[in-house]
Amino acid sequence: MRALPLERPGTPAAGLRSRGAALVRSREATVVAFIVLLGLYLEVATGRFLTLDNLGNVLLSSAGTAIVALGMTLVILTGGIDVSVGSMLGVVSVAVGYAAAAGWSLIAIILVALAAGTLLGSVNGVVIAFGGIMPIIATLGTLNILRALTFQLLRAKWISDLPATLSTFGLGLALHVPVAAWVALGITLAFLYLAVRRPLGRHIYAIGGNAEAARLAGIDLVRATLFVYAITGMLVGVAALIYVGQTGIVQSNSGVGFELQVIAAVVLGGTSILGGRGSVAGSALGAFLVAEIKNGLTLLNISGLAEGMVSGVLILLAVGLDRLRARGRRA
Amino acid sequence: MRPGAFLLRLASTDRPRFLVLVLALTFIVFALTTRDFATIYNTFNMTQYGVEIGLLALGETLVIISGGGSIDLSVGSVLSLSGVVLGMLTMWLRLDVWVAAPLGVLSGGALGALNAFLITRVGIPALIVTLATLYAYASAALVLTDTVPISGLPQTYFVLGQGQVLGVPLQVVVVFLPVALVLHALLRHTVFGRALYGVGTNEVAARFAAINVQALRFWVFTLSGLLAGLAAAVMTSRVASARPDAGFGYELQAITIAVLGGTSIMGGEGTILGTILGVLVITVLSNGLQLAGVHPIWQLGAVGVVLVMTVLLNQWLARRRLRTAPRAA
Repeated sequence: MRALPLERPGTPAAGLRSRGAALVRSREATVVAFIVLLGLYLEVATGRFLTLDNLGNVLLSSAGTAIVALGMTLVILTGGIDVSVGSMLGVVSVAVGYAAAAGWSLIAIILVALAAGTLLGSVNGVVIAFGGIMPIIATLGTLNILRALTFQLLRAKWISDLPATLSTFGLGLALHVPVAAWVALGITLAFLYLAVRRPLGRHIYAIGGNAEAARLAGIDLVRATLFVYAITGMLVGVAALIYVGQTGIVQSNSGVGFELQVIAAVVLGGTSILGGRGSVAGSALGAFLVAEIKNGLTLLNISGLAEGMVSGVLILLAVGLDRLRARGRRA
Repeated sequence: MRPGAFLLRLASTDRPRFLVLVLALTFIVFALTTRDFATIYNTFNMTQYGVEIGLLALGETLVIISGGGSIDLSVGSVLSLSGVVLGMLTMWLRLDVWVAAPLGVLSGGALGALNAFLITRVGIPALIVTLATLYAYASAALVLTDTVPISGLPQTYFVLGQGQVLGVPLQVVVVFLPVALVLHALLRHTVFGRALYGVGTNEVAARFAAINVQALRFWVFTLSGLLAGLAAAVMTSRVASARPDAGFGYELQAITIAVLGGTSIMGGEGTILGTILGVLVITVLSNGLQLAGVHPIWQLGAVGVVLVMTVLLNQWLARRRLRTAPRAA
């Protein structure tokens, strides 16, 4: 098992300086550098990037991606993947939409979202943990099943004219920063604690490092697998609240392609696609970078159709450079 | 023996016969419940559709047999993009369509080779490479055409996808069956085929047997792209235009067909015959649902259910075989 950059062991004599150097060399620092450089470029090229409004938009659109990317990080750390998060977002958004349209209280709507998300995530978890199915196959199946379910629940219509119950989540500001971004920050800190300090977090790293060794060390693989998929579903529930609050409309294509953004955020953040290595903080930063790139495409008047190309190439670059570097280390 | 136990034993020991049974049952259910299903016209008509997903599924079968987590999620997008290339070469560069079509097929091969390069040379897992190119190729097809299908192709080209020989669609006779036969021979009677099963079953052992594992995987991913390009050429002819979203969701069907046909998702197992039977089952299912007026999105949903159920069944059977094997021996 490889350690997190955040707690890379150093001798006391090496002191603060090596820890500082490790921080600068860390993946998180690279992502921050990319975010800053891209921001400067966009500001110079368009003059419209560094406004309070625009930065708020980027933060808002990164919030949902970041929240789900935290769960996806745990999934990928165990050596799995979940491509169904976009379709889950669709189904949960429909549930949230109907609850809001029925005039339910904010607390009730939040509970609906979390419960629906957790349930859907648990289905993935059960099929993968007990059925022994490869995660990509199981979630590719649920991707298509849940998209059909979204369509069925909406009966080819859409839900709009939603009451303002959820607009705090989607559009509210606190200290000039979107509420959604504060929520994302809070969940990121909780996940940081989980991943670095809690036994379950360490178990998840261990499973990705070597599942058989982890099992022999007494780690409950089934429990950890169930947990990572269920919690990812729950986080999709949170993201759905933000999504519906922000757009005010639920359609049968809500959340299509969302999985790509989330996976891009995780691998840009430095999590190894082979499992066992990666950081939660990196994924949150990766989500901001993904949102910044998306914003950049808009500012530069590049067609939204190119988004798939840009995200796809970014994923390949991030993972490809990682793999080449890993090979260099081995040689 | 109870019918349930009989079916399970058949699924475990004789996959082709099991699939024939499933096919017959599906066919009968739709014939009894859906109007216009069990007509001669419809039966031949649906094989047209089966050719396209069938070609993708054949490629997917080879890829999955090669093991080591090999999977090709990009086949649908390769189909879309190479169809667009075919359309652009014909309508924009004014090439003769019979020159453009092979070039379109080759462009599919090139896209597959790009996947193969990233997987075998750069060392990125196949799952991530083909997931990224699934979106990238689809997006490229949309950008190139600005979402507008390319139409106005010469009438003579439509014979490939709309012509018939004795009532059988031309593409079944001149494209699908020859390709399936060649691939069957490739798997059964060549060194390449034996090596492919070897690599899929035990990569380390294969390497010690001096098999070039990476080269082998390079060729199966390239071949998968080439077959997707071929499917694009057929589909463009059948629908008389190059649609930039032509292959949307086809990866799901291709993978489902392969595992339904008995290809082990862990590699090393699978046959062309099984995949062909899988194509027939999924084609009957899709066509039946379509005639029953089920929305296309639910057709994909149904295939998703079949995928998960099949893999669960395969895993369960494999585990049962492991449990019972020592006693049998």
